[in-house]
Amino acid sequence: MWRGLWTLVARAARGPRSPRPCTRQGSGVPVPGSGTTIFALSSGHGRCGIAVIRTSGPASGHALRSLTAPRDLPPARSACLRLLSHPRSGEPLDRALVLWFPGPQSFTGEDCAEFHVHGGPAVVSGVLQALGSVPGLRPAEAGEFTRRAFAHGKLSLTEVEGLADLIHAETEAQRRQALRQLDGELGHLCHGWAGTLTKALAHVEAYIDFGEDDNLEEGVLEQGGSCKGWGHLVSQPPEAPSLPPLCSLPSTANSEVRELQLALGAHLRDARRGQRLRSGAHVVVAGPPNAGKSSLVNLLSRKPVSIVSPEPGTTRDVLETPVDLAGFPALLSDTAGLREGAGPVEQEGVRRARERLEQADLILAVLDASDLASPSSRNFLDTVVAPAGAGSPNGNSQRLLLVLNKSDLLPPGGPDPSPNLRPHLLLSCLTGEGLDGLLEALRKELAEVCGDPSTGPPLLTRARHQHHLQGCLDALGHYTQTKDLALAAEALRLARGHLARITGGGGTEEILDIIFRDFCVGK
Amino acid sequence: MFSLRNCGLWVAASLTKKRLTLARFSGDSAAPLATKFDVIVIGGGHAGTEAAAAAARCGSRTLLLTHRVDTIGQMSCNPSFGGIGKGHLMREVDALDGLCSRICDQSGVHYKVLNRRKGPAVWGLRAQIDRKLYKQNMQKEILNTPLLTVQEGAVEDLILTEPEPEYTGKCRVSGVVLADGSTVHAESVVLTTGTFLRGVIVIGLEMHPAGRLGDQPSIGLAHTLEKLGFVVGRLKTGTPPRIAKESINFSILNKQTPDNPSIPFSFISETVWIKPEDQLPCYLTHTNPKVDEIVLENLHLNSHIKETTRGPRYCPSIESKVLRFPNRLHQVWLEPEGMDSDLIYPQGLSVTLPAELQEKMITCIKGLEKAKMIQPGYGVQYDYLDPRQITPSLETHLVQRLFFAGQINGTTGYEEAAAQGVIAGINASLRVKRKPPFVVSRTEGYIGVLIDDLTTLGTNEPYRMFTSRAEFRLSLRPDNADSRLTFRGYKEVGCVSQQRYERASWMKSSLEEGISVLKSIEFSSSKWKKLIPEASISIGKSLPLSHL
Repeated sequence: MWRGLWTLVARAARGPRSPRPCTRQGSGVPVPGSGTTIFALSSGHGRCGIAVIRTSGPASGHALRSLTAPRDLPPARSACLRLLSHPRSGEPLDRALVLWFPGPQSFTGEDCAEFHVHGGPAVVSGVLQALGSVPGLRPAEAGEFTRRAFAHGKLSLTEVEGLADLIHAETEAQRRQALRQLDGELGHLCHGWAGTLTKALAHVEAYIDFGEDDNLEEGVLEQGGSCKGWGHLVSQPPEAPSLPPLCSLPSTANSEVRELQLALGAHLRDARRGQRLRSGAHVVVAGPPNAGKSSLVNLLSRKPVSIVSPEPGTTRDVLETPVDLAGFPALLSDTAGLREGAGPVEQEGVRRARERLEQADLILAVLDASDLASPSSRNFLDTVVAPAGAGSPNGNSQRLLLVLNKSDLLPPGGPDPSPNLRPHLLLSCLTGEGLDGLLEALRKELAEVCGDPSTGPPLLTRARHQHHLQGCLDALGHYTQTKDLALAAEALRLARGHLARITGGGGTEEILDIIFRDFCVGK
Repeated sequence: MFSLRNCGLWVAASLTKKRLTLARFSGDSAAPLATKFDVIVIGGGHAGTEAAAAAARCGSRTLLLTHRVDTIGQMSCNPSFGGIGKGHLMREVDALDGLCSRICDQSGVHYKVLNRRKGPAVWGLRAQIDRKLYKQNMQKEILNTPLLTVQEGAVEDLILTEPEPEYTGKCRVSGVVLADGSTVHAESVVLTTGTFLRGVIVIGLEMHPAGRLGDQPSIGLAHTLEKLGFVVGRLKTGTPPRIAKESINFSILNKQTPDNPSIPFSFISETVWIKPEDQLPCYLTHTNPKVDEIVLENLHLNSHIKETTRGPRYCPSIESKVLRFPNRLHQVWLEPEGMDSDLIYPQGLSVTLPAELQEKMITCIKGLEKAKMIQPGYGVQYDYLDPRQITPSLETHLVQRLFFAGQINGTTGYEEAAAQGVIAGINASLRVKRKPPFVVSRTEGYIGVLIDDLTTLGTNEPYRMFTSRAEFRLSLRPDNADSRLTFRGYKEVGCVSQQRYERASWMKSSLEEGISVLKSIEFSSSKWKKLIPEASISIGKSLPLSHL
């Protein structure tokens, strides 16, 4: 009788074979391509002073000896000058600095060798050919050194991402963020969360696997806090009609899950900041026609991105250019001046400009300081500047900087042209006056939008980080709602899986280790 | 009929007429055994019996070699089968028409499902088993299995020949050499020698070479395996002392009664052999500081504990419990060993102190003040072979057609052994027929989890199954093992009887019918709310768990 009923009830969980990939990871994961030794040019291509060629794998020592014959391996991790020659022909290739990193104290965790050769293309290709002729060596595939470092546990997934970002960092703030991530800060944060979750899961799993079979012993149960519920449950009659509410579980598991929910929620609220810093904040320059938007874009990007003319409506499409604004990466968009009643092409430009405004992380609203009373200026102030300034109650209002251009047209030393306006900056694109003030204001705004990478908690730099944190949070929500203990544990497993996917790792053995450390399980 | 000990050769007793010709062997032990078998299984424990029976069910002429026929089906440690995770394994063994579930349904004295309140995915079928009945029923089953021959004998060596070039491995096994020098040839060999590979029994400071108390270890075979290049590790385990039933004061202890009605282990058992009211109770008592004191004062008399060999973390001896979790009361379950047995098995009191100190320790415990110890607890240290040396079909990478199953692979527990036995027996038979191996994946069963863990991660402590090891725990329930494995076993392997196949088919179609009936009932959410007020119906469209 029991099987039929429960088969029906739990069919949903059974379903077709789950598409979810198996998340077992850990020491047993076979290292991809281990056994072979790889080599590659690690510095940039083209003529240069010094080029660095690396090898990684068990034959690295052999390769190093082959090229530097008849001399033996240099001492570990110290630079030595050696004559490199082709192992077959014996032809000298270059006099180079060589470095020997025996594993596991190397970048990849395997034996590694580095050849710092002169950067001429013929030298580099000669050395690469010589390495290719050593048995057991093959050219590395893209990213293979880092992949081996990951496979050997030298780098976590977020550290790998940090490394890639560091290599591609173009602005100072990007570099700081990438370096922090490479140092493992995001990884540590996730590891901390995953650790909390693993412990909570271990306690639930212990209750499932050993609560009745091995009778977790009462003294042990109180170890993690006051959890009298467990002891009671074990001795309750099995015919108890309803499933135990989860509050009777170890209070530690539940309270830890609740704290984790709060922490994840807080972190997700400013989740886009790290991504903006990584891929550039969207800064949209908008305003009525002929306010000097294109001049400002050209000034900020220090190159003639947009055509500038005294004629209103010169810019009709959205023009984008990546710029480094006070150390922060930004994607600067020049848009068509906002006005009604122009031709169809310009109207399309205006539509696109409005669309772009909605996606903007920061709006640079540009007005002609000498023309604030015109209908197009008034209209722009009412429809774009006022709503952004008012802000929505959830704090997600768009950021906006109001710039009054053409300050050179104002009478010198005259009064503020618009005492009733919100805080604004005066600028003259023509003379460059007020540019420093604008850049400082931009730096402050972008630091808010992107987050300051040198302080505060590590940021989520990729969409997948946010996705998995959200997934984790959703799963924790299921945990607190469900009444079936196996389903509750499944929710915790899912939550932990999401965290593990940010950094890698997360096998079942970890759970068992905690169980056996915390509880005296045993017949 | 079981008094035929020392008779060299055993022939299946009730052969059907058409198979009689296949098993016409001389019962004369002096005659050299020049016969060739398809599969030889070495060892008659829980892995060996399942392997031999499975190979025979698959249609292979099978020989079971054991030191002593009267120890076939011996439960050498705890008098119980099943539990959380282990019950799952038994259901899966049963779904492949294995023996242990059916035998347990005929031999239990106290049936109880654990985790009843924690969701059907983690229910744990468990029973106290009458050792004598189990052994009797198992021997009856084994000796009546068509195509299966049983012979007593110690295997000293393997016969090795040239490997088949299309497979990996440096040689191929083609038979075994017995202690008396005679040889038996076979196409595949399954090794299920348990703790007998250089087994040593430890009581206090005394050490005796033995696989089990009173049984000789296998030394020659261990040498052979080492010479072949197998990586060998060492593990330890232990068993508690046995206490005379009439010397225990049960009246002051907590009593645990069995389930009513009893849930059978096997899909094809309608019910168990014994009524709930006739079943025996278990009792609970606890250790106390006096026990800790005796253990701590006498650590110098305890060589088993000092060894560095890894023991299981989840079935620890009382010594390691006292050392790792001091100043606590530890539970001791007093379990019956059988219907007419006058022994009690104190589960939780596994100990390797010298015998007289064990007796002193026991009498400190509530209810056991006047207890009489009949047999001391002891530790066993034994060789196991790193299971990363075998494939998911349990064939070794090194030697073609040699299969390992059971404790030899570093597992502990009857159920884990039985599960490997079935898979090894099936695959030994398939290998002879040159068919592709039968592999259960992690997504399909606890058997898959067990074998995948062993063959990919290895183990450095005796490996026991837990539900927490299964990633797909929600779908691998004890109640749906038949739908997961029976059809595969029937169609791919032929190890499942027609009767079981038909029953599983009937169950499957009934379930599908029931599901379609339920699906055809549609109401608005407000109507459902009225009909089932306690159900929480979410109005928002949230994804089911499996989509997260």
